[in-house]
Amino acid sequence: MTAQSRIDAQTNLILRIQIVWRGLVALLSAISIGLIWLRMMEMPLWQKILLSIVGGLVVVISSYGAYQILKRSHSGRMVSLVLDYLGFVVCFVFALNVGEFFIGIDALGENFGKGIPYLGITALGYFLGMLEEYFPVKNKNEESSLKSVSKWVMLGGFVLFLWQVNALNGIIYFLGKLTQPSGLIAVTGLVIFGMSLWSLSRPNVAHALNVKTGHEQIINGWLFLSPNLLGFLIFFAGPLLLSFYFSFTDSDAIRTPNWLGFDNYSKILNIKFSRLDSPDQLARDVVDIKVYDEVGRFTLGNTGILFAAADKFFWLALRNTLTFVLFAVPLSVIPALLLSNILNSKLPGMKFYRAVYFMPSIAAVVGISLVWQWLYNATIGYINYFITLGIEFWNNLFNVAVVDPKIQWVSDENTALFAIIIIAAWQTMGFNTVLFLAGLQNIPGELYEAATVDGAGAWDKFWGITLPMLAPTTFYVVSTTTIQAMQVFEQVFILMNPPEGPNNSTITLVLYLYRSGFQNFQQGYASAIAWVLFIVIFGLTLIQFQRQRRSSIYES
Amino acid sequence: MKKNLLVKIMGLLVIASFVLTACGTPAATEAPAMTEAPAATEAPAIEESSADVTLRWRTRPDNQEEIDVYSNISTELDAQLDGITLTYEPGGSESANYQDQLRAEIAAGTAPDVFWIPGTDVADFATRGLILNINDLAANTEGFNVGDFYEGPMYHLTFNPETSTTGADSGALWGLPRDVSTFALYLNLDLIAEAGAPDPRELAANGEWDWEAFLEVSQATRALGSDIYGYGASAWWGPYGVWLNASGGGFFNEDRTACALNTEESLEGLDFQRSLYQDYDVATPYGEDPEPVFRAGKVAMFQNGRWATPGIRTVDFNWDVVELPAGPSGTPGNWLFWGAYVVNANTEHPEEAWALVQALTTAETQGKVAALGANIPSRVSQEALDAFLTFTPPANNQAFLNGIAPEAAPSAEGPLWAGSWPEFDKIMGPAIQGVLTGSTTVEDFGATICDEADKAFNQ
Repeated sequence: MTAQSRIDAQTNLILRIQIVWRGLVALLSAISIGLIWLRMMEMPLWQKILLSIVGGLVVVISSYGAYQILKRSHSGRMVSLVLDYLGFVVCFVFALNVGEFFIGIDALGENFGKGIPYLGITALGYFLGMLEEYFPVKNKNEESSLKSVSKWVMLGGFVLFLWQVNALNGIIYFLGKLTQPSGLIAVTGLVIFGMSLWSLSRPNVAHALNVKTGHEQIINGWLFLSPNLLGFLIFFAGPLLLSFYFSFTDSDAIRTPNWLGFDNYSKILNIKFSRLDSPDQLARDVVDIKVYDEVGRFTLGNTGILFAAADKFFWLALRNTLTFVLFAVPLSVIPALLLSNILNSKLPGMKFYRAVYFMPSIAAVVGISLVWQWLYNATIGYINYFITLGIEFWNNLFNVAVVDPKIQWVSDENTALFAIIIIAAWQTMGFNTVLFLAGLQNIPGELYEAATVDGAGAWDKFWGITLPMLAPTTFYVVSTTTIQAMQVFEQVFILMNPPEGPNNSTITLVLYLYRSGFQNFQQGYASAIAWVLFIVIFGLTLIQFQRQRRSSIYES
Repeated sequence: MKKNLLVKIMGLLVIASFVLTACGTPAATEAPAMTEAPAATEAPAIEESSADVTLRWRTRPDNQEEIDVYSNISTELDAQLDGITLTYEPGGSESANYQDQLRAEIAAGTAPDVFWIPGTDVADFATRGLILNINDLAANTEGFNVGDFYEGPMYHLTFNPETSTTGADSGALWGLPRDVSTFALYLNLDLIAEAGAPDPRELAANGEWDWEAFLEVSQATRALGSDIYGYGASAWWGPYGVWLNASGGGFFNEDRTACALNTEESLEGLDFQRSLYQDYDVATPYGEDPEPVFRAGKVAMFQNGRWATPGIRTVDFNWDVVELPAGPSGTPGNWLFWGAYVVNANTEHPEEAWALVQALTTAETQGKVAALGANIPSRVSQEALDAFLTFTPPANNQAFLNGIAPEAAPSAEGPLWAGSWPEFDKIMGPAIQGVLTGSTTVEDFGATICDEADKAFNQ
């Protein structure tokens, strides 16, 4: 037997094993689905459905892979690589979980401080090695004694570090856990999937399956993309779909949820308008008070309209959120536009001011809100203090008697939301300014030069060149600021006490969602609110996109 | 080259600081040994080698001093309880609400074995099966007696939702109270003296401390200046509830199955409180935190619980406390606040957890916590009360004891077994704030509030 024929025989054997392996994977998946639905495994309905979908996909894809390998098609290899790679990742995460690796990371965090000095010794070793530059050895082929010492110091320091943070105990504990049944299953899975991946990546196998360079590049591309893609699917798309399912249930995040259909959505959207015979007629006289609560009333002369809803808090939250957007977006975009034009000039100190205006954007919201809470305090806050000083100065100067308003910024229902708008605008303005600055620097200077030659003034240039050329940036800034404003939460939660404010004047959609889901054990209902909020944000963004397309100078 | 040298010098300085750190005294972070969770890599090893059961427990401390006391208690109990290793976890921070974090951990299955919850949450946790009914364990415990604790908290902690019965024979025990507390008025004696107002402590001693006298002192001190206030209270159900209770009203009907915010008595109490803010203008604006204003020396009477005492001890004016004034019902309408240590329903070690709950509520342990000044022991014991009186300042600690005395008929803080307390509070809080800030009339409030609030029952 020649060497080539031996290789061919090996390749054929690997391919036959691959076909059997794919078939086995498909069979095991099918059996798992059967066990799930034959009540052999107790789990909530949503888990059964999810696992069945995943299992069904594995059955179909693995069978397809076996068939394609049988046909010696490269797609069989591609499909097998993807399935084995996913299997390998699942077994790897399972092994880490069985070995309590993630809890160990927490423990490492707790103990890390103890090891820092010894990391310093490692750094010392590194710098010792750098000293070699000043004491070069004559024989370039020999390692200098400094370099040797450096290596040993670094190694010693690192070992001491591991010892100090109890890493050795952790590793022994981890390995011990892997010898338990669930650990052994994870390790076995790792070995099998790993071997399958290794065998499929052999050049002879690839050649036998007619793999071309382009196919390899596609696989490499997906491989590099996979960490991010898996993260997106597991931590973003997965929870998103789960929350969509929960929105049709009475989930409290603890017990098995019951299917409610559209009940949550119908409660949110159940509203009623009723005619009032007099402006002060009670809601209970015109609507079924066991179902509806009054949200508001519009009066005209001796009559009026009552607006009632099954969930008045949602509608109050929607009203407040839209009011917030209506004021906070212009207040954080228009000043930012003007500010960026000033900061775009070449006056001295502009870099300093750019940094200053950007600082609120990077500061922690909780800290900022606490500072503003103190500033807003009606009795000992600095804002009212300066207002009082100003009024006293004015009264003394002109001998008048202007009354100090003593504004109750956060405790008066007429000013509470406005107080939050001020904070949000102040905080967002700096970031928007930087975005506008970037946009301004992309406008060709020739346009301004030509306009100057044509006799245009500063205002004409701003109106005729800057604004139209900034349209894409403006669109981006307005869209992102609107989305951000629709999700206002932290400032309200920290600043207000209680967060809903007087007469629910500061309850917002995300705050209501949070209260329902995390404080009232209504995860299902909170999920429904989240999806309604998504639809509102999506609708607003869509409108902005359409307006942008119609008005864009780039499009036309 | 210069830049390179600079980088190296800086690097050497960093190393020097590391070495000095390593050779120096232990880092401050190492001091409260028990606040550090033992490395998970170590914990199971301990469990396996010595067969000890590791229990995690949690409270909501207000400051570092409380964290230190609880840490020391954990260390001592760890030594006392055979076969149990304890890990204490202080909970709650500015950015992580204690209860929200706890609920999330329960949902994720990572909550501690034993934890503290406020009295209003007990029904929610119990009916959802999140906390263990430890009645059977207690029944087999020699010397355990439900009657050793205050009756108010034990009414709710022994409430059996299946039979709607309460007491030692109800078949339910959801936990044991960590402590109790009540409201008093913290007095700025300097302001009261400057205003020439009568001393509320003397009025209380003479039985003359009622709403009228309270208003008189408030108005006299308010007259001292536009930035001086006679009264201040925070914006939550506790402070406004006392005015409703004191006039004979309350949040709920007698068996706590329906809203009673619209009764004549409740509205009378609410109207009096509204008048403090709107008519007489003697109170700090409702919804603003009055504590910094009081600490700045600008409030004569600040209504708060015993938990505020450690913070108030740092002020630089003469201060003391007095009980709340008596209302039309003849009582001050005070609350008996409490919170309880409960056992996680998913704990793997219920017996050990029950042993820990008992150890955390002994007279000795409660005495150590009470010595901080933040709360009152939950055991009915003259010895404990006598010890509490020595935890000064304030000199008039008796005011707190008067607040929880049976003669004062305090209303025990409690959950809604027939409804949802968070839902009720969600409806009541903003509506009352509307009245106290002047945007809603008491009449309008009374006409509509129970239509809405009654929906919180049987949820």
